Amino acid sequence: MRVTLQEELDQLEAALQEEGAHVLRALRGALNALLQSDVELADEVIAFDDEIDGAYLAIEEGIQSLLARQTPVAVDLRLVLAILHNNLHLERMADYCVTIAKLTKLVKDVPPDETILEGFEEMGQRAEEMIRIALDSFRDRNAARAESLVDLDELIDRANRRVVGHVLSLGADPSLQEWGLRMIIVSRCLERIGDHAVDIGEQTAYLVSGEFREFTDASHGPGTTPRDLR
Amino acid sequence: MSEMESAPAAPAKIPGMDEKLLEERARETSSARRDVLFDVADLTVSYSGVPALKNVSLEIYKNYVTAFIGPSGCGKSTFIRCFNRMNDLIPTASVEGRILYHGIDLYGPEVDSVEVRKRIGMVFQKPNPFPKSIYDNVAFGPRVLGWKKNLAERVERALQQAALWDEVKNRLKDSAYSLSGGQQQRLCIARCLAVEPDVLLMDEPASALDPISTTAIEDLMHELKKDYTIVIVTHNMQQAARVADMTAFFSVDVDEEQDRRTGILVEYDQTPTIFTKPGDKRTEDYVTGRFG
Repeated sequence: MRVTLQEELDQLEAALQEEGAHVLRALRGALNALLQSDVELADEVIAFDDEIDGAYLAIEEGIQSLLARQTPVAVDLRLVLAILHNNLHLERMADYCVTIAKLTKLVKDVPPDETILEGFEEMGQRAEEMIRIALDSFRDRNAARAESLVDLDELIDRANRRVVGHVLSLGADPSLQEWGLRMIIVSRCLERIGDHAVDIGEQTAYLVSGEFREFTDASHGPGTTPRDLR
Repeated sequence: MSEMESAPAAPAKIPGMDEKLLEERARETSSARRDVLFDVADLTVSYSGVPALKNVSLEIYKNYVTAFIGPSGCGKSTFIRCFNRMNDLIPTASVEGRILYHGIDLYGPEVDSVEVRKRIGMVFQKPNPFPKSIYDNVAFGPRVLGWKKNLAERVERALQQAALWDEVKNRLKDSAYSLSGGQQQRLCIARCLAVEPDVLLMDEPASALDPISTTAIEDLMHELKKDYTIVIVTHNMQQAARVADMTAFFSVDVDEEQDRRTGILVEYDQTPTIFTKPGDKRTEDYVTGRFG
């Protein structure tokens, strides 16, 4: 039994879960700031990103060191590679939270639109749920639950389309154009967070099966494997 | 995937990529292209009637490096010695089952074991040069076979193939014992190559060497597989991962009642598979260091 290797793997995985908890906090903060036009909270979300970046870098360094010293193979290697990818996905999610917070500060003088705020609340809740499922199924090595993220992603995609449709329906009022554009970006950020959760789900499937596979592929339809594309 | 990307798209056509050509490529790289050199079927090796290695079946492919890994007592050294009938030299050893070499039964009655050992050379754990000059070590085999013509060229070629020529060309008359351990091991490889074998068997060829000499031997294996088929037993799993195309994992089957330990073949596959997603839990436990 390679005790040191196992301890280091456990530590990396715990650090990843902690980073995930940070991302959930950042997302909730960004949503609350947006929905309540709370500029101070938006600033806190932006500042909090430094902490997530620190966690991200610590995991990167941990992986670099582990690869250099421990030469993991088989399931250990797959776990290290999956953590490496998931680390980046979580960091990207946090960046989207920062974008939402910055946009919140920019639109603070525009009266809130109920339809859009409801849409964001729904998308936000779905994104939070997806992050939780992505992290839990990774921890539990539950590939079936990880794959259920695809269906949830479809729901967040639909909500995104509704928000975009609503913004477009507001017409050509010049005072609302810039605001509308920013709302579309917020919507896009939430939708992308869902995509990254699906990507984490794919890493769970890889960790469990050893097969590289995208749950869905935009250009080739569902179930396409990299092997099919060679 | 993202909302934008999920819009229905036409099937991807990448310019310059012919699908038929791609399919052909995929077929070429699949197992169909491998030439079987040794075909081992249901091989059991016993010492004084007690099986040391049981029911092994696998194929060794031409111009591949094939590694045997496994814990002590798993029978991997016993197995590699079957390929050039080294176990014949142990009076109590018996071999059941079949090894076909180029389709010929290696243990058939008409097969001369000396001829076998000429075609299938072996390098051992500890370098074992003869107490002779560097030149005479390499020239020994050809002389025994009566190959007197162009002997000097033959010796030079073997030393070059073994990546030793540049280091010894000015001191060929020096004793082989004046060489370093790593050089002596490459000399032993040159000694094998001088009789133009088909296969090189290596039983832990680098385990007594320092890291730099080990790297030299591993680089050498990579070069030699263009012309030879190499089978290597190694305790060093990372060495197998670095040098081998195919890896066989052997383990020990323990019969507590009879107090017997028998080597078995657990898994045999392409090396990347063995080290990324082994099919058998026992292989995974061994390569990840969770064995026992």
